[in-house]
Amino acid sequence: MADVRNGIATRAGAMILAPVGWLANLFDAPLRMLQRRTGSNGMAVFFLAPNMLVFGIFVLFPLVINILYSMTGGGALFLGDRTFVGADQYGRLFSCGSYLDPKSCTEDLFWIAVWNTLVFVVLQVAMMVAVALVTALVLNRELRARSFWRAVFFFPVLLSPVVVGLIWRWILQRQGLLNLMVFEAGGTPVNWLVERSWAFTATIMVSVWAHVGFYSLILLAGLQAIPKDLYEAAEMDGTRPLRVFWRITLPLLAPNLLVVLVLTLIRAVQIFDEVYVLTGGGPGTSTLFLTQYIYEVGFASMLRNPGLASAASILMGAVLVVLTLIQLGIARRNEQRGKMR
Amino acid sequence: MSQITLTGVSRAFGKVGVLHDINLDILDGELIVFVGPSGCGKSTLLRLIAGLDRPTGGSIAIDGKDVTTVPAADRGLAMVFQSYALYPHMSVRQNLAFGLENARMARAEIDARIAEAARMLEIAPYLDRRPGQLSGGQRQRVAIGRAIVRNPTAFLLDEPLSNLDAELRISTRAELAALHERLSATMVYVTHDQIEAMTLADRIVVLRAGRIEQIGTPLDLYNHPANLFVAGFIGAPRMNFLPVKVAPGGTGRSSLTLDGSAGFEIDGNVSAANGDVTLGLRPHHISLADAGKGDIAARVALVEALGSETIVHTRTSGGQTMLAVVAGQYPVASGDTVDLKFDTSHLHLFDDTGQRIAVR
Repeated sequence: MADVRNGIATRAGAMILAPVGWLANLFDAPLRMLQRRTGSNGMAVFFLAPNMLVFGIFVLFPLVINILYSMTGGGALFLGDRTFVGADQYGRLFSCGSYLDPKSCTEDLFWIAVWNTLVFVVLQVAMMVAVALVTALVLNRELRARSFWRAVFFFPVLLSPVVVGLIWRWILQRQGLLNLMVFEAGGTPVNWLVERSWAFTATIMVSVWAHVGFYSLILLAGLQAIPKDLYEAAEMDGTRPLRVFWRITLPLLAPNLLVVLVLTLIRAVQIFDEVYVLTGGGPGTSTLFLTQYIYEVGFASMLRNPGLASAASILMGAVLVVLTLIQLGIARRNEQRGKMR
Repeated sequence: MSQITLTGVSRAFGKVGVLHDINLDILDGELIVFVGPSGCGKSTLLRLIAGLDRPTGGSIAIDGKDVTTVPAADRGLAMVFQSYALYPHMSVRQNLAFGLENARMARAEIDARIAEAARMLEIAPYLDRRPGQLSGGQRQRVAIGRAIVRNPTAFLLDEPLSNLDAELRISTRAELAALHERLSATMVYVTHDQIEAMTLADRIVVLRAGRIEQIGTPLDLYNHPANLFVAGFIGAPRMNFLPVKVAPGGTGRSSLTLDGSAGFEIDGNVSAANGDVTLGLRPHHISLADAGKGDIAARVALVEALGSETIVHTRTSGGQTMLAVVAGQYPVASGDTVDLKFDTSHLHLFDDTGQRIAVR
């Protein structure tokens, strides 16, 4: 019976593959001719071209357009209708009495968003790395139903940011689940998303909840790559658990921690969707972050200013480029270290 | 003084028993080698002694003190791991100092111990390098150095030479033997390589499937293997085995019959139920004789000329493969018919349960 099944499967496979093979042969002759004319380097360019075309249309071209927009003024959407203003938009963004006091700046919202983003990045990154590390350390232990717990922590990563925002809005709103629990416990309900400090804290907690599974996974992989022998050697050496963590686990996990740190930084600087759904940047401007500022100035406000939004996005892009270069540098160093071990 | 006593030690993982009723006395200053095939439980036994694992039965004592439940760090032992287990982010010096710092030893004392170990193992030039910058042999020495600086009651070595190439393994083996001589320390050494066991051990413990098959000096095991397993495991090339019929011979002699026809007599009486026994003979105790002058005829299947000796693989008319090792470069080729002559003073007999039969 199994033989018959295998025979049918083989014949079906052959029937499917036959036209594929025929098509491949069809391309054989022209590709061979092309390679004769262009050489193997030319062939590489030929095969890269479709991807480069997509990259050009959807990444490179918008980037160039964005730079051009940042040097134009007015509310018109099409570049041809816009007036060239040089670096005026950048000048406007940087026109400040004191950068520490957004109210003294021409574009006060930009600086409010910058400072909010900066505080958010510092707190969220610190919290994300700490929670991811603790989670990874716990998940690396011999737990009952370890795979289940790993899945539980990773599950939020699979959710769309909008879904994350909505879930937590339902939990944190005035008549949400959390307040219900607080009330049932005899406490006084809190306006989590209306009080400034609570709303800001909520954005940090929610973004950590949503993404910590991904970073835990990176750290977990790092922890599992540390040879067990080292811990046994440390045990023979009479090393106390805390010292094992500081002197063995942490240094050997440092490459992964650095990767997590930089990736978290990049993501935190870009924070937008879940916070936009959760708080809409409020109350007031207390959770207004840079990406939301760019979005609102460029598309959502009554007096939209695509040039100013473009200038702000170019500045933010520059920060991200620096962070990405750092990340690539770390990845390269880790690779070299890996080769040395 | 550092004597290790294992009494009725067993270890099971769930329902699977890995070690069964191990009883062993490791004497002070002795280099004892646990040897056996993969999965025989030798590394598990070492880990139990180290305290990295707990036995499910029995007890372990060091110098008469029960340490069965004592943590690894408090047993005063040092271990050299198969993978060396050097901390890759620390320099050699830091690797050596790590255990001593844990014990809060004074810096001057730590430095003195490191200097002494570095001198002994000739690793002083590498003290500021990281393990990744060292060769396999150098790492091996650092791993031993890390054990030495702790001045342990006993050294536990888990297949320490298995990651080295053949040449380095031989030289490091000699260095280890010299080190044992110099330190006079108790060493428990695990290996699957019987040559390593034979060359290093004061005594060898042969393990199979979690049980001790035999304990003895290397030559004890070679000359008087307790059973077929030990006879086959110790010695290279491995011992030849032939099924033979034993019957009383002349006065005080026994007659052995091979292949139903060829046979010879040996001194002593052999008692075996229904007369079926297994004859064991090491390849070095078989010589090639002129036609008609040997004990059994065989066809040469393969010749391995090693220069100093020739290993001749033969097949008897009964279908048994037999190896003979003859000194020098013997003129013989595949397909030749030869007569094998047995040195009957070195033969071994085993009963149908595989146990050695005493020839009285």
